[in-house]
Amino acid sequence: MKPIEQLIRNDAVQVLASGSKDLSDLKSRHIFITGGTGILGKWLLELINLLNEDNDYGIRVTVLSRNPRSFITLYPRLGAMPWLKLIEGDIRHLSELPHDVSHIIHAAALTDRRLFASQPGNVADVNAFGTLRLLRAANLLEDIRKFVLLSSGLVYGAQPWETAQIDEKFAGPVRSNDVNSVYAESKRFAETIAQCAVSETKLPVVTLRPFAFVGPYQSLQLPWAVTDFIRDSLAGGPIRIMGDGTTVRSIMYASDFAHWVLAATAAGKPRETYNIGSPEPISLISLAESITGHFNPAPSIHTGIGQIGHDRNKLVPDVSLAMKDLGVKVTVPIGEAIRRSVEWHRLSQI
Amino acid sequence: MKIRKLPVAILGTGNIGTDLLIKVMRSETLECVLFAGRNLSSPGMTKASLLGVPVSAKGLRGIIDMAHEISLVFDATSAADHMEHAAVFEKLGIRAIDLTPAKVGRMCVPAVNLDECLDLPNVNMITCGGQASIPLACAIAAANPQVQYIETISTIASRSAGPATRINLDEYLLTTENGLSVFSHCERTKAILNLNPAQPCVHMQTTVMAKVEDPDISATRERVLEMVERIRHYVPGYRLIIEPIAESGRLVTMVGVDGLGDHLPKFAGNLDIINCAAIAYAEAYANRLE
Amino acid sequence: MPDTTQQITVCDATLRDGSHAYSHRITLDQVRAYAAASEAAGFDYLEVGHGNGLGASSLQVGESLVPDDEMLRTAKECLSNTRLSVHVIPGFATIHREIDGAIACGVELFRIGCHCTEADITQRHISHVRAAGLEAWGVLMMSHMAEPEVLLEEAKKMQSYGAQGVVLMDSAGAYFPVDVTAKIGLLEDRLEIPVGFHAHDNLGLSIANSLAALDAGARIIDGTAKGFGAGAGNAPLEILAAVLGKRKFSTRIDLYKALDAGEIAAELFAGSMPESNSITIVSGLAGVFSGFAKPVRRAAEQLGVDPRDVFFELGKRKVVGGQEDLILAVAAELAKKGGIK
Repeated sequence: MKPIEQLIRNDAVQVLASGSKDLSDLKSRHIFITGGTGILGKWLLELINLLNEDNDYGIRVTVLSRNPRSFITLYPRLGAMPWLKLIEGDIRHLSELPHDVSHIIHAAALTDRRLFASQPGNVADVNAFGTLRLLRAANLLEDIRKFVLLSSGLVYGAQPWETAQIDEKFAGPVRSNDVNSVYAESKRFAETIAQCAVSETKLPVVTLRPFAFVGPYQSLQLPWAVTDFIRDSLAGGPIRIMGDGTTVRSIMYASDFAHWVLAATAAGKPRETYNIGSPEPISLISLAESITGHFNPAPSIHTGIGQIGHDRNKLVPDVSLAMKDLGVKVTVPIGEAIRRSVEWHRLSQI
Repeated sequence: MKIRKLPVAILGTGNIGTDLLIKVMRSETLECVLFAGRNLSSPGMTKASLLGVPVSAKGLRGIIDMAHEISLVFDATSAADHMEHAAVFEKLGIRAIDLTPAKVGRMCVPAVNLDECLDLPNVNMITCGGQASIPLACAIAAANPQVQYIETISTIASRSAGPATRINLDEYLLTTENGLSVFSHCERTKAILNLNPAQPCVHMQTTVMAKVEDPDISATRERVLEMVERIRHYVPGYRLIIEPIAESGRLVTMVGVDGLGDHLPKFAGNLDIINCAAIAYAEAYANRLE
Repeated sequence: MPDTTQQITVCDATLRDGSHAYSHRITLDQVRAYAAASEAAGFDYLEVGHGNGLGASSLQVGESLVPDDEMLRTAKECLSNTRLSVHVIPGFATIHREIDGAIACGVELFRIGCHCTEADITQRHISHVRAAGLEAWGVLMMSHMAEPEVLLEEAKKMQSYGAQGVVLMDSAGAYFPVDVTAKIGLLEDRLEIPVGFHAHDNLGLSIANSLAALDAGARIIDGTAKGFGAGAGNAPLEILAAVLGKRKFSTRIDLYKALDAGEIAAELFAGSMPESNSITIVSGLAGVFSGFAKPVRRAAEQLGVDPRDVFFELGKRKVVGGQEDLILAVAAELAKKGGIK
């Protein structure tokens, strides 16, 4: 096994050994994953692979992807899994699902901030109406046991600075007559559409609101703080922070993220909404420092690059509900998450 | 020798129409030459296009434009729409199978009155409970001409009852009761419908109970078994759960209906049985034209 | 603590739920005698008819001795302050045949019920009653089978259709007080219309559960004289009257007359008063509709199986009210499997 594969396998073994509510409801089931070729999807496949190989779970997976051939080319090991079937398609034109699908993990969405600016109408279409299409197809299944909707921590709008963590009951303002709200609003509407299906046909929907995460398989082309910092550090720096670096985030490691999603698929309570993320706050400046610390010489960090007067902001979830209902915990602290992510990206560059 | 198949159209591209499409495509005597509706991007339209079936988003107009190429149309729209469509089909000389509750044409239960319906321009498929219960009621009435009262109870999965069914429960009950009376010649009838939300979904079950003085159980049994076999020719998932018995002063028999799981889920035997009946009629019509 | 200055509406379901206990053979003389007693006791509503409500006389559930309209007209003649109500289940009863018929008989309140997850089938029936200028409530039956949030959603549907009250029925007598508190409490908190509870005594908790409902904010409470109702019976009205008085809830009840009404019912329906037995207990444990007790006993006897096994199997299959036909199927299956006593 290549070192880069060993790294992921070790992560997967460790996170599954950390325990959670029983995943055994997933044994011999057929899981349909949309957006299965993104970072979450790949990690779900890694965990399921381990469950199937080492624990005889017998889970079958069908992944809907807009470009399965490129996935197979880029990730031949994952693409060749015997229990995995990749089908090509756009969620907006989906007409039906394999009839024996029992669990759906709906992770497909346009999440690239650049698209929010250049193609906001497409973002609304894929994220909201793609969800509607999938829910309708799910209603024709023989025995649908769980429909897991991946929403977003951004549905909360702005977190008040004085609030340490936001829980699932929090509802912040999102400006509806603003194109910059398109992602948050598309996710909010997707959540509402899912609740319509719950009300109309009692579809067992579990809503997840993920926050920020980091880890292997993450594209460094996404303009997020953590990916920016890693990419710039790999390039020798410097890291550039627009504000003063006091903006606060929390970042979860990818294996934990996928494990929590899998636990929600098995044990999430229908109708319930769970925050998924790390409850541990970290300022952008500390985050940048924890990344540069893995490089020698350490790239420099420049703050205050942008215009002054932009408010610092904060996005940290309260995840006690998920921990209680799903029996999960954060197994990889932020420092270790950064170390492993940097190592993987280094190895993948070789 | 290749037999020319009967060219049919399906009007209405919802779940019923889409399920019919799969059944038509499997048929040895039918060929779907047009799948017509209003929304070209609906899941049914997507599926039909992927299957290579000609589609039209012009609804009734699509049928009219191709009238000379269509012998029969399945109308899976709504009762209000079918009221308008029926006259158009008749004028165009297109045989119409009405899957809505419009009740324009003669009620047809293939196991009971297929032959007498084959010369009619328009036939109606009654209700799911009607398709399941009327043949049993006829069998009971044939074995027991003195029957005083017939009742049918159907239980279906909540998920198989869409908004139109839910809002039209009264029409379902009255149409089913009327069907029972007309076919069994028993004046007093009653229909009951239960929705059961259990997960996994329950499969459709239909019970027929009758009030009969001195019922002839063995004759009833014989007639019912024979009828069930006849239905199984076109509804393979129709099965006897309770053979006719006399219990607490009533004659009781019960069937289950498993759907074929073509487009609709298998538990929706209530939706499947109507589609199967419609296909049985269309195939009989095609065979007669042979 | 609940606000005891608010008026509690007390519904007397003796001549409707009791129909189950009496194999639907209640006579007009019994209707007259009991309606007068109910009126005197000061109950707010008297519900009359077949156990499963309007149009439910059937081979499936049991045939009524007296047609709906005769029972309703007779009861109406005996009532002045106590208003006449009926139970209606869409799927049994239709608007034009049964509801319009009952309107003509002078029914003032229609309690439109359905299995607790299917509220949308009540839309047209509730709307019709309201359009006729009469009172309509929603009733969520077998409500032990759904989570509080589901019940709230279904109750809200009924509220949006125009229901002026919503009643949770513990049709199987399967609730514990803690369930009542959670469910009634949530509905009371989130609905604009008053909330009620209808108890059954299968696990001996009908009064405890009724009290839990009132303490959680219920404004409507159901009961029957001496518990005359399906299965192990309902919350006995004469005991409810005593408890409500002692707890200083505000009602129209005359305690002595309520106690008398209990005695009158016991005489009228002597020999058929419900009692706790192994079948009613198991019915509550299995969460199966109390009204199944008699047909289960019959079917079990005919097919030689243990009626308790039949109940547990029905519970496993999550049957809803109205699925009496499944009793025979289950009993026959158990007999085939060799479950013979």
